[in-house]
Amino acid sequence: MSREVNFEKKIKRRALILGLSKTFFTFLVFGKLFYLQILQKSKYGKLSDTNRIKLKIVYPERGTIFDLYDKPIASNRIDYQLSIFKDKKNLVYDYVKKLRGHINFSEMDLESIKSNLNEQDLSDFITIKRNLSWNELEFFEFMKNKFPFLIITKEKVRNYEEDLIFSHVLGYVGFNKDVTKIKLSNLKVGISGIEKKLDSKLLGKDGWIKFETDSKGAVKKELNKKYAIPGANIKTNLISEIQSKASDEMRGIRGAVVMINCQNGGVNCLYSSPSFNNNEFSDGISLKKWNLLLDDEFNPLLNRCIAGLYSPGSTYKLVTALHAIENQKFNKNKKFLCSGHISLGNRKFHCWKKEGHGYVNLHEAIEKSCDCYFYNLAKAMEIDDLAKFSSLFSYGKTTGIDIPNEFKGIMPNREWKIKNRSEKWQKGETLNTVIGQGFMLSTPLQITLMTARIATGKKITPTIISNKKEFENLNISNENLEFIKSSMFSVVNNSTGTAFNSKLRGNYKMAGKTGTSQVRRISLEEREDGVIKNEELNYKLRDHSIFTCFAPFDKPKYSLSVIAEHMGSGSKVAAPIAKRIMELALNKY
Amino acid sequence: MTEIIIKLKNLNWLFIFLISFLSFVGLVMIYSATFGEESKIFISHIYKVTIGFILMILVSLIDVEFWKKNAYLFYFIGLVLLLWVTFYGYLGKGARRWINFYGLNFQPSEIMKIFLIISLAKFFDEKKFQESRDYFFLILPILIVTIPFLLVLIQPDLGTAMLILFVSVVIFFVSGINWKFFAFSGLLSIIVTPYLWGGLKDYQKQRILTLFNPENDPLGSGYHIIQSQIAIGSGGTFGKGWTKGTQSHLDFLPEKHTDFIFSMLGEEFGFLGTLSVIGLICLITYITYHITNSFIHNNFNRIVGYGIITNFFFASLINMSMVIGILPIVGLPLPLVSYGGSSMLTYFIGFGIILSLDRGSNYL
Repeated sequence: MSREVNFEKKIKRRALILGLSKTFFTFLVFGKLFYLQILQKSKYGKLSDTNRIKLKIVYPERGTIFDLYDKPIASNRIDYQLSIFKDKKNLVYDYVKKLRGHINFSEMDLESIKSNLNEQDLSDFITIKRNLSWNELEFFEFMKNKFPFLIITKEKVRNYEEDLIFSHVLGYVGFNKDVTKIKLSNLKVGISGIEKKLDSKLLGKDGWIKFETDSKGAVKKELNKKYAIPGANIKTNLISEIQSKASDEMRGIRGAVVMINCQNGGVNCLYSSPSFNNNEFSDGISLKKWNLLLDDEFNPLLNRCIAGLYSPGSTYKLVTALHAIENQKFNKNKKFLCSGHISLGNRKFHCWKKEGHGYVNLHEAIEKSCDCYFYNLAKAMEIDDLAKFSSLFSYGKTTGIDIPNEFKGIMPNREWKIKNRSEKWQKGETLNTVIGQGFMLSTPLQITLMTARIATGKKITPTIISNKKEFENLNISNENLEFIKSSMFSVVNNSTGTAFNSKLRGNYKMAGKTGTSQVRRISLEEREDGVIKNEELNYKLRDHSIFTCFAPFDKPKYSLSVIAEHMGSGSKVAAPIAKRIMELALNKY
Repeated sequence: MTEIIIKLKNLNWLFIFLISFLSFVGLVMIYSATFGEESKIFISHIYKVTIGFILMILVSLIDVEFWKKNAYLFYFIGLVLLLWVTFYGYLGKGARRWINFYGLNFQPSEIMKIFLIISLAKFFDEKKFQESRDYFFLILPILIVTIPFLLVLIQPDLGTAMLILFVSVVIFFVSGINWKFFAFSGLLSIIVTPYLWGGLKDYQKQRILTLFNPENDPLGSGYHIIQSQIAIGSGGTFGKGWTKGTQSHLDFLPEKHTDFIFSMLGEEFGFLGTLSVIGLICLITYITYHITNSFIHNNFNRIVGYGIITNFFFASLINMSMVIGILPIVGLPLPLVSYGGSSMLTYFIGFGIILSLDRGSNYL
């Protein structure tokens, strides 16, 4: 009997142990639940949001750039892009392998995938292919169930209406991988030209969209969004038609065309030849192509208008002459004999015309571009004075045009010589300088600006985007300016002028000055044997052809310069091109 | 007839209410789990709950003596079904667990748990403690456990097999078997475990290994545990609201209407929800204890009561432990809440037996 009782006790005890172990188990589960749901709520809440909420950065639409007559020259096009969920990025290469054959992944795309994978921006998507074609889009729509975690998005990307014509002045956009703004690693910023200069205006402000997605990567709905603010539109002073005319005229010719509105300094044309395709650059150019452009001996990436350095040649005589009559009270009627050369010490200085111009006055000297006359002027000139006066026409200074990377050229003086050549200034160098040769270097923009300032007597400043009306006076007497202008008139309109061939048809009158920028030094022996004709020279040694002009003569509106590299004298190539461009500008605008 | 009405009147209606409430939680959760998708599963679940409820009441009207008398017969039937399923069973999800019975899929391993419990109860009731000192008499009950355990294990259904083993050990324990037996078995199992481990399928090994470090392989087998913990944790105190769970409705949570239904409950009803369900389960367990403890000198009733409630309680808590990352994911439904016919019907039958025990108990 006592055994029976003991057994009952034992059973009761064991039932109690069982119950206690259940209680223990319950508390274990309870504790873990308390930990998960109360203590770690915020952690798991965040994780659950990370699971479902995907943030997509919406890149702002870049502002449109218009020409003077409101024609868009840089706008945006729709670009379909393929992106992958960032947290599934380990699938990328697998997907690329499967999609190949239907979607073309170029080497460049693969490269950009590689770099995009390491981006740390805020977006939960990684772009793996841009510029999807319609066929590729169609294919993907059809197959997308097989590729979870990939989405197609529609972006607006920069598109230039013309591939080549505005490339230097507008510049292009691209990724700036150095920026610290890591949250927007896919933002394209202006790299050069107006795009760079006015980047902050054109850029706009990014927005975002929060998507709710399921575990299979399907977007269920948009949770909320912040709209991107598009960049501001910009109106420029460029005239599309003039710009493309310049491009046509310069086909096959290296050089630059610059046209400035004399009334407000607006840059109507800024064309550098050869050009490059800025659409290609903005879409991302391959390294191979980039190297090809860099190695191109004609340097298409150089904006010759503002960074191409040329001896201004005879066009600079305008400044020399003005300096003589304005500051040295030189008698413009004084005649000098041009016998084809003059001597200074034991050196001979040659006129471009071997047989000489005979007796000429200043007006004729400009009209015929007589070098000897200017050598004579130079004898009485102090280089530092000339240099100081030249700065009024922005030689040796940047013009302040509103695009980056402008060169200031060289306006030599005594100090410059010592600093750069460690030698004292020689009188003979003044002789070279007054005819725009020697050390002197200038940009096509500077030459055009000189003409504009002579034409108006005002300190015109070139601008691509602003519209300023008032400029200070140069403080040069009207009489002297009129003298120079009338000499320029003769250059084009007198049968003896160097640019008579390029006289405008119709009612408008143009005034200008030719120039020939010597690239090589002609040796004494060659002088004696007869100077080798330009056509017979190695291309790289041929002279640059320069012409600068303004029109209409009585009420200057446009100032224009054309530089054609290695094309010989200014009258032969540059002047006729300038004439045709000027005619178009005057007749149409 | 009047006899039946009296029997019905004597049923423990509080207990029935608690069971129904737990089933109701299941209905609510399965509605949410299938919300916005096909309603077939929800409707099928309603049918199963209804059938289960009726079955429970019917079983409660049967006297316990019936089960005692026919225990071995039922065990034999169960064994035949298990053997049959081993060879001819319907293959699903890589396991041979189901018998197709006139279009209804039926898992004999579930009902076998009940038959096993009553058979062991009958055995330990007849062989009283006197023989308990003689270990040879234990050979029979060990066989009673081992045969179905192995059959279920090779299906393979690790969850159910472990539960069978566990419940059996508990029954041995409350039958008053000497401590030494457990010590010996424990030692034996330590020796045998490596061999058993070698016999496990790769995916089962993986599941167990994953438990220890789910973050190691977040997209592989650890994915389920992590997503389940995220679901529960993100529910916080009050939950995201019924049918508003993002983890579950955006398919981050796997098997949300079966094994992981508790995670979904945690996500949508928060800590208060999970706590209430645990409370409910504890209350049901407590009441069953109360009923069972009232039997003195009746080993059969006692063992049946402890066995059935242990099965229910541990199945529930193991399921919860699985989805919150305390135990490996072995594939066990949450009793009465998860979708799944055979297991739910088995629990209803079990509770029917407890109700019938209650009718005969001194407990009021």
